[in-house]
Order: sequence, then structure tokens, then C-alpha cells
Amino acid sequence: MAVELTGITKRFGAFTANDGIELAVRRGEIHAIIGENGAGKTTLMNILFGLLQPDEGSIRLNGEATVVADPAVAIKAGLGMVHQHFKLVPSLSVADNVFLGMEIRRHGLIDHAAQVARTHELSKRFGLHVDPTERVGLLSVGIEQRIEILKVLVRGARTIILDEPTAVLTPQESRELFQTLRSFVAEGMTVIFISHHLEEVMEVSDTVTVLRNGRKVATRPTSELSKDELVRMMVGREVSFDRRPRAALHGDVVLDVKDLWARDDRRLPAVRGASFSVRAGEVVGIAGVAGNGQTELAEVLSGLRPASHGEAWLKGRDLTTLTPAAIREAGFAHVPGDRMVRGVDRNASIAANTLMGRQHRAPWSRSGVLDWKAIAGNAGALIKSFDIRAQGAADPVKRLSGGNIQKVVLAREFTNGADFLLIDQPTRGVDIGAQEAIHSEIMRQRAAGRAILLISVQLDELAALADRILVMFNGRIMGEVSGDNADEDRIGMMMAGVLPEPVAEPLS
Amino acid sequence: MSERLRAVSGQVIALGVALLMGAIIILMVGESPVHVFMTLLRGAFGDQEKIAGTLLQTTPILICGVAACIGLRGGMFNVGIEGQLFLGGFAAAWVGFTFSLPTGIHTLAALALAVAAGAAWVAIPAYFRARYNTNEVVSTILSNYIAVLLTSYFTIFLFKRPGGWSETPPILATAYLPEIFAFSRLNWGLFIGLLLAVGVALVFRYTSWGYGVTMVGSAPKFAEYGGVNVKRQGFVVLLLSGAVGGLAGGVETLGVHHRFMEGFAPGFGFDGLIAALLANGSPVATIVTALFFGALRSGSLLLEVDTTASREIITVIQALIILSVSAQVLVRRRGDSQAGERRWKF
Repeated sequence: MAVELTGITKRFGAFTANDGIELAVRRGEIHAIIGENGAGKTTLMNILFGLLQPDEGSIRLNGEATVVADPAVAIKAGLGMVHQHFKLVPSLSVADNVFLGMEIRRHGLIDHAAQVARTHELSKRFGLHVDPTERVGLLSVGIEQRIEILKVLVRGARTIILDEPTAVLTPQESRELFQTLRSFVAEGMTVIFISHHLEEVMEVSDTVTVLRNGRKVATRPTSELSKDELVRMMVGREVSFDRRPRAALHGDVVLDVKDLWARDDRRLPAVRGASFSVRAGEVVGIAGVAGNGQTELAEVLSGLRPASHGEAWLKGRDLTTLTPAAIREAGFAHVPGDRMVRGVDRNASIAANTLMGRQHRAPWSRSGVLDWKAIAGNAGALIKSFDIRAQGAADPVKRLSGGNIQKVVLAREFTNGADFLLIDQPTRGVDIGAQEAIHSEIMRQRAAGRAILLISVQLDELAALADRILVMFNGRIMGEVSGDNADEDRIGMMMAGVLPEPVAEPLS
Repeated sequence: MSERLRAVSGQVIALGVALLMGAIIILMVGESPVHVFMTLLRGAFGDQEKIAGTLLQTTPILICGVAACIGLRGGMFNVGIEGQLFLGGFAAAWVGFTFSLPTGIHTLAALALAVAAGAAWVAIPAYFRARYNTNEVVSTILSNYIAVLLTSYFTIFLFKRPGGWSETPPILATAYLPEIFAFSRLNWGLFIGLLLAVGVALVFRYTSWGYGVTMVGSAPKFAEYGGVNVKRQGFVVLLLSGAVGGLAGGVETLGVHHRFMEGFAPGFGFDGLIAALLANGSPVATIVTALFFGALRSGSLLLEVDTTASREIITVIQALIILSVSAQVLVRRRGDSQAGERRWKF
């Protein structure tokens, strides 16, 4: 056994994140740990890696009882962890990042050539394609992840833990990652893979352990499991991901974007002449690999980034000329993609978080004086109606799991009375149960006649919800696909920048 | 609630550690820590005159502390309160000795100009912060030197009272802040400070504006997303902070010295900032911490009379408090980290 956890229990105050979890990972297997958000996957892995100490239970690494007091112990025992959030130095080269803290030295100086050579060798051996001399700041997230994996390899890891590795990857990059993981196993290494993505788990893992509410539900060989069974074990009930039924409701044009251009933080053009419209009672999806201008588009529409050219009309007002506050006043709600930074104040209470954007409006305030009783009462109601798992409206948001934090954001934005909803990555890092609830809520908003622009990197999400899907590549809208017969191949090609056939789309 | 409890207990432990280290240093200079601390206590609270003296010292620290709290709440570090206090003090004195106005109105006019002077003085760094994202810590620190020397120049070259000292002519009695007791110079400034502390706390807690500012301070990107004008609120917050800093100077002039003189209020601005930090930016808690620093200052007067320790030991203890409080904040932040994220980033 590479890793054996026995009776691991971890409590945060009154909340039990892990409750007597048993986990045995055989050497040379890909072991997936799957569960809803807040099921305790990340906590368990942090305990294994020495970032957290368990309240009860014991750990055996390679058959030896070990107290993993800190990550150094774990690394020494051959463990390596690739976190959800990368920790790289943008101004250093790939090779320098890989060897950061354990530089190869010659005559007391860093031997860059040797580092580059070793990085190159490892990257070739495991199919982790990187250019060792390139600066990290210029690279995409997918490549950053490869660097993180290389860092772990260079430190001699034989058991590699990956926390939600595919959350930031394109389908193509995910497939490459899976090949890399298989090559690890072929060399006798062990992989522990955290995910809540069913297909991936079915595709890549040998064994699956399912966690629910901090407890282990089962450990089974993947080959003996069906997707349905897996979902049932994760959420305890059936979940469908089919296209949502809908009535054609197309009303007037609410948002009309004309030849919109914008630059990113590096001052390079990120949105290049986007033109589209969204009608009342319509969900328009924007597909695309992350980093193709979707974030910038969302920021321009919500007033957080200036447009360099073009117009975006919302009910007769040009959003590109308005402040974020005026845009909200004009009937615009926004579920931001970066919910931890933009969407909430993690340290503030749920009540305070539901107030943002409406603090100047009755009944939340009168003549500039807040009515905290009304605010807390409303937050309590939202907690119920959006099924936010919290003790109360006074709970700080940082105590909630990712899915529940997203529900706080949705609860605030969907109850704003806005006609237009910009929803960016509504279910990123959110468990399946919450995903379903969020999708239902979006469809309810559609039925209520709201115009919805849905940006997502998950095609199945767009296929389930969108009436039309626009595909973005390199800042341009490559084409449009009807949601009713969304052809994954066609969308995939456009996401990769290939026009499947001459399309009569405004490309400008 | 437990969050707040942890914050408070953290500060108390930090204070305890600082006093302990202070005791060791007192031992090293050959005095008995018990004797020194008892003398301090007696000097600060020994009889009603001493208590009044302590409150007199507390007043400017409290007002400066509230000024710092306003900035901190909006994420702005106003380290220029000392300078704002000097300009406010001079402005109030100028109104006091230049014009003759009815009692009360004269005081209000002088305080109003003190407030305006403080705000105007911080407006320069605040503008550069809002317009060019200049670090306000650096620019406000530097503005202190200019303010102190500028008021010295005014005092010595433009408005010097004939005779020995570097001070302006005395202000008219119509501009005095009334004294509370016959036996002390303690004056209505204390009430101004207390009202201000409670008022500012209420504004932050119970107004839409206060909510927006609080969010700018704690989660600026979230505030921006929610429609709060982050730059403008940062500017406004610094301006208000400077205005209160100016008020502190006005109160000191009108209530205590009745004239402006060089070095009339050394270090109150910095003590106020420390009091605000020790209070975690809470104006109401600053009442307690300002009292603590006021007692240290006032108690230290007796120190040199009754012990062999020098008054400077108080400065040492203050420095130790700053050190242990900031260390404590770092430790507590690390405790917050659940995923082990923060552990590696300091």
C-alpha cells in the first residue's frame, strides 16, 4: 500500500469535515477521490500532506506508521501535491520555478543549463510539454499546471496528489494530463486524483473512493461502477444532466453588443470585435477555452474594464460609458467568474454579503441608514430558498464550502430585480447537487423573462441550458450553434480556432 | 462572536507579552518592575487630579486614534495624523488670536478651520493616491515633516509673540474649550473625542456609505464589482481621517495650551495610530486603548520623581507593544488558514 489512512477525523469548530475516514491506496494505481463540494476531499488530502493535523486517526505511508507533522515529512516519504491554486513565480523561467528552493549548483552558483536539461528530460519522459527557458508569467494555466507537476516530480515524489486538476484545463489539455498520469502509473508511481467530474473519473481511474458529508461512502474498482451508481453514491439521489425543457419565450432584445473591443491587463487586445445580442427569456451561452477573452468581455459589460472600441446597449443605455454602479442601476446583475475575489468578502457575514449593490436601496436602507434587521431577515430567507448550508445569516462566508459560497452570490444577484443576468462560470468548483440546483435556478430566471448571458468552459452545462451558443476564440466570436442540437465536435473545433465551414458570422 | 473574542484575547496576550518584556528591561536597568508599574499606576490613577491628568493626555490620542480608524476602515493607512494635528492646532490658534467673535461661535469657528486645515493637508497625498496610486503610507509620513516645520515657520517668522518663547500670541478667552473641573486643564475635548468615537462607529455600522467604505477596506475588488467607487471612497476616507486629525490639533490648542507653540503635541498622532491598530480599527475599542496610552504618558511623569528609571522606559514599552501586537496579528492570520494556503505567503 502506498497510502493508508485509518479513522481520520477532522473538526473545524462544530463542523466535522472528515468523520472516521478509511482510505487505502495501492501502489501503482490511479485512485480517484470523488464527492460533492464540502464532502471533505481537500481536507483529507491536506491532512495526508501534512498541511492539517487530524483530530483522530493515523496515517501509514509505504507501510510505515508516520506522523505527517508538516509537508516536509510528506515530501520525504515520497508524496507530492499539486494544489488547486498554483504557486509559481511569474518572473522566473519554467526551469527556475521547477527547481525553486532546490537549485542545482555548480561552484556555488545556480547551474541554469543543468536545470533546463533536467526539466527538459522530465518533461519529455512524461509528456509534460513545456519550454524550460520560457518565463512563467507568459504561460497559460494548463502549462502552469504542468510546471507544478514537474516541481513535484523533481522533488522525488512517487505518490502524486492532484486536487481538482482539470478544473482549469481545456478538454484537450485534460486528455493530455490523463496520458501523463497513465505514464506515471506505468513507471510504478501512484496517483491520487481529486475530482467531482464523473466522466474524468470513469475515464482515468482504477479505483474510486466516494466521500459524502465528510464520510466515506465506498471504495470500488472503477470497472465495476456505472456513472449512475457513482452519482447516486455522491449525492444520494439521481441527477440528470440532460437538456433542460423549455418554452420559446424570445422577447425583445435586452442586450445589444456591437463591435466591442477591449484589452487585457497586459494591454493586448483580448476582445476583438464581438457582436451579439441577448433577448428577454433567452439564455445565450459563450463557450470557449478559458483565457480567450471571456473574462475581459464580462468585465467590460459590467463596467470593471474599459472598452477600447464599440458599444454595448442595455435597454437604450450604452454600458461602455457607465460606471459599475450605474450599470447595476440599469438592471444588470453579475455572477462573477472569480467568486472568491469579486463575488464575496470572505470575512464578512452572509448578511453583509447579500447587501452588496443594494445598500442604497429600500428596504435595505432608508435615507442612507441601513436596516440590519431587514437585511438579516432577507439573508435568512435567501439561505432557505437557495438551500445554502450555513448555520445562519451571521456566519462568515469563509466558513462555507465553494458551492455554498456560489449560492450566496446567486442568491444576491438573482434577487436584484435585474432584467439582464451575466453569469460567469456558475458551477466551477461546485458539487453536482449544487450544480443541479443552480441550473434549475437559471432556468427559472429564463422563464421569468430575464435575458441571460452564460459564460462557461463546460460544454455540457451550455448544452443543458443555452438557447444559442457562441464560441469565443482568441477574442473573436467564431460562430454560433443552436443549443437544441449542440454538436460537440463542431463547437470543439471552433474553440480550437478552426472554422469548420465558411460561416456567415460577423468577424470584423 | 468567537472571532471577536479571539481578536480581543489576542490583543490582551500581546499586551501581556509586551509588559513582560518591559519588566525584563526594567530589571536590566536595575529597577524593580513591580515598583515601576505601581508608580505608573499611581501616577495615572492615584487621585482625582491624576485621573484628570490621564484623561487630558487621553483626549488627543483618542481623537487621533479615531482619525486613524476612519482611514483603516477604508483600507487607508494615514500615517500623517501628526502633521494634520500640527496644522489643525495652528489653524485653530490663528482664528483664536486673530478674530474676536462671541463665546462659543469663536470656538466653533476655530475648530472648523482646524478641521479644514487637516483635510486640506491630507488632500495632497490623497489626491496622488486616487489619481496615480501613490502609496499613501510614504506620502503621509513625509507630509508630517513639512507640516511640523511649516507651522514652526509660521510661528517664528510670521506670528511670533514678542518675547522669549517660540509661540503665537495667546488666543482670546472666547475661543477656549470650557474646562470640566477647576483643578485640571481637562476640557470638553474629551467629550468631543468620546462622541466622535461612538459616532464614527455608528456611521460605519449603520449607514450605506459606511458599508461601502468597509467593503473597500476589506475586499476592494468585491466593492468595485458591487458598484462602490473604490478610488473616490479611498480619497474621501483619507480626507475625513485628515479632518479629524486636524480637529485633534484644534482641541489641543483651544482646550489646553490656548496658543500655538513649537512641538506643542509631540507624538500624539503616532500614539493615536498605534491605539487604533491595537483596537483593530474599532473606534469604540480605541477609547480603551487611548486611555491605556494616556495613562502611560501621564503615569510616566511620576516615574522620574519616584524611581530611578527614566521616562524613556515608556517609549520602550510602547515599542514593545507595537512589536508584539503586529506579531500577534500575523500569528492569528496564520491560524485562519484552513487549506494551508497562507502558511507559505508572508
